[in-house]
Amino acid sequence: MKKVSIDPITRLEGHGKIEIFLNDNGDVANTYFQIPELRGFEKFCEGRPVEEMPRIVPRICGV
Amino acid sequence: MPKLKLALYWAGACGGCDVAVLDVNEKILDVANLADIVFWPIALDFKYHHVEAMPDKSIDVCLFNGCVRSSEQEHIAKMLRAKSKVLVAFGSCACFGGIPALANFTTRAEIMERAYIEAPSNENPEKTLPQTKVKVAEGEITLPELYENVYTLAQVVPVEYYVPGCPPTVDLILKVVNALATNSLPPVGAVVASEKTLCAECDRKKENKKITRIYRTHEIIPDPSKCLLEQGLLCMGAATRGGCGALCIKANIPCRGCFGPPPGVADQGAKLVSSIASIYETDGKDDIQKMVNEVADPAGTFYRFGMSTSMLRRKHSRKR
Repeated sequence: MKKVSIDPITRLEGHGKIEIFLNDNGDVANTYFQIPELRGFEKFCEGRPVEEMPRIVPRICGV
Repeated sequence: MPKLKLALYWAGACGGCDVAVLDVNEKILDVANLADIVFWPIALDFKYHHVEAMPDKSIDVCLFNGCVRSSEQEHIAKMLRAKSKVLVAFGSCACFGGIPALANFTTRAEIMERAYIEAPSNENPEKTLPQTKVKVAEGEITLPELYENVYTLAQVVPVEYYVPGCPPTVDLILKVVNALATNSLPPVGAVVASEKTLCAECDRKKENKKITRIYRTHEIIPDPSKCLLEQGLLCMGAATRGGCGALCIKANIPCRGCFGPPPGVADQGAKLVSSIASIYETDGKDDIQKMVNEVADPAGTFYRFGMSTSMLRRKHSRKR
């Protein structure tokens, strides 16, 4: 099966890639959208002072 | 002069550094006159394979933002290093680890568990975690390996220059653009910012006052004319390189240190602890314990942007 990779996807905020599998007729058999990045705000914000959150979480997305 | 070839990349980043480049407004036209942009994922549709196909040293300048914490980010950092004559660590994440380096206080396993299993917005009864390789009906799909640690760019590849800030200010970005336009690059290793601490460019009055209490930011409204640290607020200014124009301080909120340590300071947190120690009035052991208790989050405050380059580097667990 032929695979077409779009890596990276561009002109948006964030990181992503798309894998498109083509069948023998050249039609799309399936497509996978993947996010190859994780920073872990969910974890490293835990236990930090609530009044500091407005200075930490804007860095989830700066766009 | 032939046009320069310029690349911009984001590794472990939020996109704020890329937007900061656009914040130069109409001066972006100067950049366009000066350089052809050959890679910039947020704005232009070049792929990794286009960069791979470029000859070594064919990019004149690469502004690299974001931390390095995955096999993909390390690979791109090495690739852009090979293709670029000048590699610039752009922004606090690339320089010091930045906010993402707060993850060095935890572990990869804890982050995965929280993000993919425990988080209330998840529905993942099979507790599936991201894998580097997954067999699917049509073949195989892959993801980069997430590293245990967050690294700076210079911890992975040699870097020529550093532009700190979360994000770098327009003034500093224009300084970089002008240096490129006039071919007047500073000596290798230079940090494009001030050579003094932030206190040197802060207008607030310092009275060499002692403090008897440390406040959290919501507990007082500080006098906008006086030093924040001398009012008992933890301001990182004394342990931070200047160059931002004291932006946060002018908004009456304390500095959090995004420009990293000033020249000659090895550890930003240790430097601030020393500043606090010199102004906190103590009358013995009980006061010292009181002072320690008043700091709500010492690690996350003193190392807010600089965990990767700190002397601590990460949280260490004792081997049993």
